[in-house]
Amino acid sequence: MQCLDIRVIVDGKALTATVPVRLLLSDFLREQAGCGGLHVACGHGVCGACTVVLDDVPVRACLLLAVQADGAAVQTIASLPQLEGCEPERGLTPLQQSFRRYHALQCGYCTPGLLVATAKFLAGCPSPDRARILEHLNGHLCRCSGYANIIAAIEAVRA
Amino acid sequence: MNTAAPFGERARRREDGPLLTGKGVFLADLIRPGMAALRVVRSTRAHARITHIDFSAVANDPHCLGVLSAATLPEGMGRLPAIDLVEGSLPAHHDILAREVVRYVGEPVAAVIAADAYLAEDLAARVAVGYDSLPPVLNVGEGIRADAPLLYPQFASNVVHQTIQRVGDPEAAFARADLLIEETFHFQRVCASAMEPRGALATLEPGTGRSLVYSSTQIPQILRRELARLTGIPVERLRVIAPQVGGGFGVKEAVYAEEVLVLLALQRFGRPTYWLEDRQESFLASSQGREETLRVRAAVTAAGEVTAVDADCLADIGAAYLFLSNTPGAAVASLRGPYRIANFSSRARSVVTNKTPLNVYRGAGCPQTTLAMERMMDLAAQALGLDRAEIRRRNLIGPDAFPLDRGVSYPGCGRVIFDSGNFPALLESTLEAIDYHGFPARRAAAGERTLGLGLSFVVEMSGGGGAEPAGIRVLPEGRLQLLSGITPIGQGSATTLAQILAGHLGLPLTAIEVLTADTDQSPDAPGTFASRGATLGGNAACLAGDLLIREARQLAATLYELPLEDIRWQNGELIGRAGVPEPLSLAGLITKAQEHGIDALRRLQVSGRYERDAVSWTSACHAAIVDLERDTGIIRVLDYAVTHDCGRIANPLLVDGQIMGGVLQGLGQCLFEAQRFDERGVPLTQGFMDYVLPTAATAPRFILRHIETPSPLNPLGMKGAGEAGCSGAVGAIANAIADALGPQVPFLNGSGPFTPECVLAMLRRRGGHHEA
Ligand code: FES
Ligand code: FES
Repeated sequence: MQCLDIRVIVDGKALTATVPVRLLLSDFLREQAGCGGLHVACGHGVCGACTVVLDDVPVRACLLLAVQADGAAVQTIASLPQLEGCEPERGLTPLQQSFRRYHALQCGYCTPGLLVATAKFLAGCPSPDRARILEHLNGHLCRCSGYANIIAAIEAVRA
Repeated sequence: MNTAAPFGERARRREDGPLLTGKGVFLADLIRPGMAALRVVRSTRAHARITHIDFSAVANDPHCLGVLSAATLPEGMGRLPAIDLVEGSLPAHHDILAREVVRYVGEPVAAVIAADAYLAEDLAARVAVGYDSLPPVLNVGEGIRADAPLLYPQFASNVVHQTIQRVGDPEAAFARADLLIEETFHFQRVCASAMEPRGALATLEPGTGRSLVYSSTQIPQILRRELARLTGIPVERLRVIAPQVGGGFGVKEAVYAEEVLVLLALQRFGRPTYWLEDRQESFLASSQGREETLRVRAAVTAAGEVTAVDADCLADIGAAYLFLSNTPGAAVASLRGPYRIANFSSRARSVVTNKTPLNVYRGAGCPQTTLAMERMMDLAAQALGLDRAEIRRRNLIGPDAFPLDRGVSYPGCGRVIFDSGNFPALLESTLEAIDYHGFPARRAAAGERTLGLGLSFVVEMSGGGGAEPAGIRVLPEGRLQLLSGITPIGQGSATTLAQILAGHLGLPLTAIEVLTADTDQSPDAPGTFASRGATLGGNAACLAGDLLIREARQLAATLYELPLEDIRWQNGELIGRAGVPEPLSLAGLITKAQEHGIDALRRLQVSGRYERDAVSWTSACHAAIVDLERDTGIIRVLDYAVTHDCGRIANPLLVDGQIMGGVLQGLGQCLFEAQRFDERGVPLTQGFMDYVLPTAATAPRFILRHIETPSPLNPLGMKGAGEAGCSGAVGAIANAIADALGPQVPFLNGSGPFTPECVLAMLRRRGGHHEA
């Protein structure tokens, strides 16, 4: 199997690795970069559970190869404070608190991807109306919550 | 019982912290470098004889760490279990790996072990399996024909399970009826689609050398027992742990071949081995739900009283039993729901077909019976020119009728005896919540759009599965560990159980830790299913709490040389009569005991079993308002009201979460979801691209209300809350769609799914001939 050397900044830490060219970014992040908070639910880009931010753009890690992230900076759930523009290490971020308060998670499997994507969404669109929130959520599947509480949690944190 | 504190509060969940920060440990997070990956070679045929399995292309590959096939399984190995068989059921159980014949696409035929999942997948693709195709059976109609191909020729029939029930004199009631209605309902196959796929991992426990199996399962204790039976490993040499489970809904309530295979691989090849399901495999080889054909006849008087119902259910259970595969048929026993209907007869048969095995899926048969009964009510109302709420009112069981023996039984759970409820109050509350009386005006004002309103009642069994054990350990600082058999699958059971026990003992919520889902810690319990977690786990916790109180009082009595009656437990403390001793916390008691050289921690360790019959009946009245776009056929559920009665509620925040999540699953079944097969039995839906799940934009506006009619069957007065949301939703939404379409449109009875194509097809048939 052909391998390539890559350099990636993952949640602020610079990593170098030699990876098989076919290795998925999701597997690289989970297995070699220690990002257990990245969840894979569908593996084909539909559910959004694996969403990470790659050089400032939300992407689905299950649809990219690790080698495509060479030279890039990746942010996962561990970077949520930065994505929300708040101090790291200060407990739960406002979005996380809101999810907890509104019971917007049950099994929590969809949650990290949803939080990363939503933090990025709110950074670009701080006061979305309900229609914009629904449009944003369209790319995320949650089988437990019934969505109403997720929508409420996001509405509660918008500016 | 002291319920002043946490019971009943909308407490935030203790589970949330790790899940919100990405630190939750799910099965895939347990994989370590050096563990081997197992890949299953699956049948590509729906029905075929295996001519050969050829490993020669992989056997000498240095990446191949081992292979497994039926030929290499231990001699005399048992087959996968089913627990809901009745007398006369035919043993259509699966082998761990197919022997001689495959019966569905996706059936495990062989397994390959390699250093990582990529290599294992490469190798699996090179295992050559030869097949001689046999004619497949793809639906129940074909399956019951006398000349049908047989899945199990030794049984001489594809009908492997049958239950018959009868109450009163249905024939006489039918003979006297003013109105007869007969309908046949079709329910499509759906996939529970928990977001976390299944997975299992077997390793050796450091130190003890025991086999340690992790599985994303709802039933770790049962899994351990079954793994012991199947592999011959003594049960005490096996430990099973369910890590965080990313959704269950019934799909993880079975013992699957892959859980056995990773353990066999560990035994055989000496490497810790894991298997992670990919989404395509979920669609092929994880259990599916619902598929059945249900014919219902109803006898109705001119005044709108339904006097008899007769039902015939043919459940398509796929290629074999899985674990609880026959519930769709069994649930017919509760078809009459909240209505009196004095006369009843039913026959329910399970038919094997060449499709993925069926198992319980949230609601376990109740969504089908609810939809059928509620459609019958609407059809009767329409035929008699009665209001839909009024016909229900005329048939509802009154609030004073409980306990009410329905004269039928539910296989595995005994007689159907409704314990309590207030159905008329549910109806009136829901009518008000959805503004039933204002609806005609709203419909008229909608202009271009067509609105429809649907009502649905659900009365659902909860709390089955048998006795529930629980234990309590006291830690030196006086905190408690509750050892519970309830496996968390996302429902927040640790929070709920802590609330219940804290409320019972008068301790703060933070004083209680909940340990579960580990066969070393948690007692040998049935697990999480049948909406049993909060009720059974909660009552078992209280029982253990009572034992703890007794032990603590006894210990204090010994230490202070007082009669036991002089020591009471109040608000989390021991109180002595006449002020001696001073109010004493558990921590204080432990310190005091230590001064006397007594090992209080050991004395205060208690365990008990909650043995009382706890099958209680949760009820709810649902109402949906849908919007139908006539030119596109798109249906949207706008408003959704539920008045729900699950007895006393430990945490309304979490119960509401269960209801909304359940309603969305019912909505998915009605509007989008269907697992389809081509004419050779190959599943056409193998991923979320073509299996459409509800998204946020499809979520309705919810109006949730509660009536709390305590169950007299358990001290806490609770009933289950996990499934009635799902079961009620299909009926309300189907009725709302039929209402929007109007009586001239021949409605496709069943749960659709009512996709735009389906709706447009129904609209086209309007006034034309009715396709059979
Ligand atoms: S796992 Fe990547 S989108 Fe679903
Ligand atoms: S909380 Fe379980 S999938 Fe969203």
